[in-house]
Amino acid sequence: MKAMEIFYEISRDPYAYARKWKNQTGKKAVGYFCSYTPEELISGTGALPLRIFGTREHITCADSHLQSYCCSLVRGGLEDALTGRLAFLDGTVFPHTCDSIQRLSDIWRLNAGFPFHIDVILPVKLDTESARTYLLDVFHKFRRELEQELGPISDEKLSETIRLYNNIRRLLEEIYLMRSANPAVISGRDVYAVVKSAMVMDRNDLYGALRKTVDALKKESPAADNSKRIVLAGGVCNHPDIYSHLEKAGARVVWDELCTGTRYFEGMADESGDPVAALAQRYADRIVCPAKHCGADKRGRNLVDIVKNHQAQGVIFLILKFCDPHSFDYPYMKEYLDKKNIPSMLLELEEQLPAEGQLATRFESFIEML
Amino acid sequence: MIVAGIDVGSTTTKVVVLKAGDTKEILGKNIIQTGFNHAETIEESLSLALRSARIDKKDITYIIGTGYGRNNVAFADKKVTEIACHGHGAHFYFPNARTIIDIGGQDSKIIKLDNTGRIIDFAMNEKCAAGTGRFLEVMAKVLQVELDQMGELSNAATTGITISSMCTVFAESEVISKISQGYRREDIINGLHGAVSDRVIPLGKRLGINNDIIMTGGVAKNKGIISSFEKKLDSKIFVPEDPQIIGALGAALIASLETANTKAKKN
Repeated sequence: MKAMEIFYEISRDPYAYARKWKNQTGKKAVGYFCSYTPEELISGTGALPLRIFGTREHITCADSHLQSYCCSLVRGGLEDALTGRLAFLDGTVFPHTCDSIQRLSDIWRLNAGFPFHIDVILPVKLDTESARTYLLDVFHKFRRELEQELGPISDEKLSETIRLYNNIRRLLEEIYLMRSANPAVISGRDVYAVVKSAMVMDRNDLYGALRKTVDALKKESPAADNSKRIVLAGGVCNHPDIYSHLEKAGARVVWDELCTGTRYFEGMADESGDPVAALAQRYADRIVCPAKHCGADKRGRNLVDIVKNHQAQGVIFLILKFCDPHSFDYPYMKEYLDKKNIPSMLLELEEQLPAEGQLATRFESFIEML
Repeated sequence: MIVAGIDVGSTTTKVVVLKAGDTKEILGKNIIQTGFNHAETIEESLSLALRSARIDKKDITYIIGTGYGRNNVAFADKKVTEIACHGHGAHFYFPNARTIIDIGGQDSKIIKLDNTGRIIDFAMNEKCAAGTGRFLEVMAKVLQVELDQMGELSNAATTGITISSMCTVFAESEVISKISQGYRREDIINGLHGAVSDRVIPLGKRLGINNDIIMTGGVAKNKGIISSFEKKLDSKIFVPEDPQIIGALGAALIASLETANTKAKKN
């Protein structure tokens, strides 16, 4: 599909895209980790928010600063910072989520040396009144710190940005829903390229590109095949090959619960009233990632609901090796699925996928089992 | 009707030629090292198995390929994962099988079956070779013993030794330091068997280990490994007559089901 080309280009080399964007617009680019960064505030200043995904290169510099039991996202991000591959960034933002990202922030500030560095110290528990008040204060502080570095953000501009982001989220969700209705309509690799690009691309251009994609997808009506319906759950999946392996083994992803998926676009921010409060409210309301807390059974119930709503036959957990929030939550999530007799399998990921033979055996055996 | 299962493993390739139908019978089998050229290995192993069965290749109606090299069995009618095949193979000998411990050259797997022999869950080792046949191969070399002597030697162990390193390379250094400390070969081997079962049991505990427990794969030929598992799981481990061919046998059994199904469809 022609509408997909731009997404493939950006997802293959996000840094090249960002450098080109900076040259063309003369504006600034801000790198961030984790879906808990309120991107709207960065976009509101006119800067480009760009998610850091880890590296495709060999890790040689980062390991002299980090212990070997850090995940490949943390090690890879630092590697790209230390080797100068991220030198085009004007600043970086670290939301307080897992331990490794928090401590990476300090190492980053001391060793990588970007023009500005902001920590967003979020609450851990999100379902109490005091956490909500605190969260709002944190976002106000984040806004002030960004304004110092990047210039003022007016409330009007921020509200406009929120509307843009909501529209982007609606389009991403529409693509997901079309795929759930007929998984043959778009490949897993395509969806991966779209979602990854969404965290990198100029958001106005993104809106246009998504619009085109949705319109093009509406014209497609491929015959539904009898592939098994799978949900992916976990953290970051930066491996487009996973989708091809799954499709070859006779399964298609119909929904996900990934940071590089629904966790990025789920939940709308209120378009009326105080825009900063609306952003804080969105984070307080949405289903948490395992580095946050919001009641004991929300995540487990949510995953079971996803499986039911999208008539999935099984769940594949994709967890980065050494990711402790996800690994600690995994037995609890699996238990929720087991209770409902929903089959699941766990695949630990690093920057490199397991050997192809092993991976194919796991996927095929799991799919044979469904 | 005659069918065949070909299991192209990381270390050895196994072929079973099976008489399909109501009373199944293994007519011939073969095990050879998997060479660099899979196609040649597969051809050779199949023709040796056919020779032992005194059967001509054209008399085989259905062939299933399995194992990590299954996609290189170009002439196979179907390819199935080794997990499904070990399930069928173990269920054939032991209808009460509920948990299979399959340790091959590079993988260790736990497979859970329901009472009909259907696979309900499985777990596999991660990338690392600890707890696999390769681990024992490396250690046999260090200890200057033959791989197939290790089981018997470990029975003569008198002192308990723990090899605690997770990694094959580090465990090798640990073994070398035990040698220099003057430990007996038998005791070290016994410690190594304990290291294998210590790696594999947690995999199974995640899924829950139910009786009967069957062990398949080349490593199951090692009696020392079996008794190490039996001690730690406090349960009898059943081992089929030739545990190494269970994957190939399972493939042949699935092949016989497939031919029965196509026949039923034709009728």
